Amino acid sequence: MSATLGIAIERLSKSFGAVQALADIEIQVKAGEFLALIGPSGCGKTTLLKCVAGLLPADAGRIVIGSRPVSGPGGREASLVFQDFALLPWATARENAEFGLLLRGAPAAERTEAARRALAKVGLAGSFEQAYPAQLSGGMQQRVGLARALAVNPQVLLMDEPFASIDEQTRRILQDDLLRLWSEERKTVVLVTHSMEEAIYLSDRVVVLSPRPGRVHRVLDVPLPRPRETLDVRASGEFARLVDELWQILKKMQ
Amino acid sequence: MTPLVAPEPAFGRAGFAAIAGLLVVWEILGRLELTMFVPSASSVAVAWWGLLTDGTLLRSAGSSFGSLLKGFVPAALLGVALGLAMGRFRTLREVLDGWINALMSAPLSALVPVLIALFGVRDTVVAATVFLFSFFVIVVNTMTGVRGTERSLVEMARSFGAGEAALFARIYLPAALPAILLGLRLGAVQAVKGMVVGEMLISLVGMGERLIYYGNTFLIPELYAVIVSVLLIALLSSTLVQSAERALVKWK
Repeated sequence: MSATLGIAIERLSKSFGAVQALADIEIQVKAGEFLALIGPSGCGKTTLLKCVAGLLPADAGRIVIGSRPVSGPGGREASLVFQDFALLPWATARENAEFGLLLRGAPAAERTEAARRALAKVGLAGSFEQAYPAQLSGGMQQRVGLARALAVNPQVLLMDEPFASIDEQTRRILQDDLLRLWSEERKTVVLVTHSMEEAIYLSDRVVVLSPRPGRVHRVLDVPLPRPRETLDVRASGEFARLVDELWQILKKMQ
Repeated sequence: MTPLVAPEPAFGRAGFAAIAGLLVVWEILGRLELTMFVPSASSVAVAWWGLLTDGTLLRSAGSSFGSLLKGFVPAALLGVALGLAMGRFRTLREVLDGWINALMSAPLSALVPVLIALFGVRDTVVAATVFLFSFFVIVVNTMTGVRGTERSLVEMARSFGAGEAALFARIYLPAALPAILLGLRLGAVQAVKGMVVGEMLISLVGMGERLIYYGNTFLIPELYAVIVSVLLIALLSSTLVQSAERALVKWK
C-alpha cells in the first residue's frame, strides 16, 4: 500500500454566480489525519468537499492532494462517501461496491475480489452481497457506500455528512466502525458534518467555517485519547467540555 | 424516485369475473334482438371463428402487424435516442420541448391525409401513422426518466472518473429504464391506435380496412369480431412490453 497523503487547500475561493460560497480557505490536512468540517448551513462545507473531490472547479487558489494538484474529478487519491449513499438501485451490494473499479477499467476478477474484501471490512460479508439497496437498511446501505469508496484503495476518504440520515443507534455503531477502520488503514479523512458530537468524537481537529462566504473561522484541536471506540470517550468530562466549546463557537456565529 | 409509476393490471379473479359478467349481459342483450347493431356474443364468436378459419383475420392481422412493426420499431429506437439526448442536453430540450408537447396532444389523425399525399394510398401511410402516434409519448417518458436521475449518482460516477459515455451507459440509461419501458408500453398502445386509424383512412389493407368493409356492408357480427381482435392485439402488444419490463427491472 502506498503512503498516506495529506491535503493542502490554499487560498481557495468559489462563487456561484453573484453568491460567494467560499473565500480564502486555507487548510492543511496532515497525512493520516481525521479532520472534521463543521459550520452553520450555507457555510459551504459541502462545496469545499466537492472542490477537494474535483467535482467543482475553484475560482481561485488551489488544492493539492499529496503532490498532485486537483484539476478535475476522477483522481485516484480520493474517494467520496455520500450523505444519501448514492447507491445504484439497479445493482446488488457487490456490484455497487465494484462500481468505482468498473469505471476505472479494472478486470472482473480483480473487481470482485476487491469488492468482497471491502464489504468484509465494513461488516457485510456473505449473503448481503446479492441484496439490492432497497432490501438493505440505511445503515447497511451506507456500509455499501463505504465499501465502494474503500474498494478502490484511496489514500483519502472524503465524507459528506455520511451518517446524517441514519438513526442515532445505528449511527453510533457506524462511527465506531469507521474509527476502527481508520486506525487499521490510516487513511486521511475529511468529514463534513453538522453534528458537534460527531465532529468531536471522530476527529483530530475540527475546522469551523463561518457562513456566506465560507471562511475558516476557528480550528479546534481534539486531544481526546484513542482508540476512542473502546475507551468510552463519550462518557468523559473532557468530551463534554469539547462539545460545549464547539457549541460556544458556533452559537456566537448565529 | 422514478417519475412515472406504471399501474399494475389487476387481472386476477375479479378481472375474469368482470369479463364473464360482461359476456353474459352482452349475450342476453343480443338474444333480445333489440337492434341488428347489438348481435349476441355467441354470434360474434361464430363470426370470429369463421374469419379465423377462412384466413381473412390472419391475412389482415399479418398486414396490420407488418405496419405496426415498421412504424413502432423506428419510433421506439428514435424516440428513446431523442428522449435521452433531450434529457441530457438542455439546449436541445429548450428547442424541442414545445414541439414535442404540442404534437403529443395534437389530434394526429388530422395529419393522415398529409401522409397520404406524401406516400400515396399504400401501407407505408399506416406505418407512418403508427410512428406518429407512438413516437412522442416515448420521447417524453424517456426524457422524464433521464431528468429524474439522482444528482448524487452522477456525482458519484464522475468522482470515479466517468466520462460522458460512461455516464450515459452506466447511470442515465439504467436510471431512466423504468420510465423508458413505461413509455414503450404507452407507445405500443398508441401504435395500435395509429395502425387502426391509418388503415381505416386509407381503407386498403389490414384490420382497419376490414372494419370499414364490414361496417359498410352491415356484417355486424363480423365487425364486432374484428373489433375484438383489435382489442386483443392492443392487449398483446402492451403485455409483451410489460413482460420485457419485468425481465429488465428486477430491482424494484
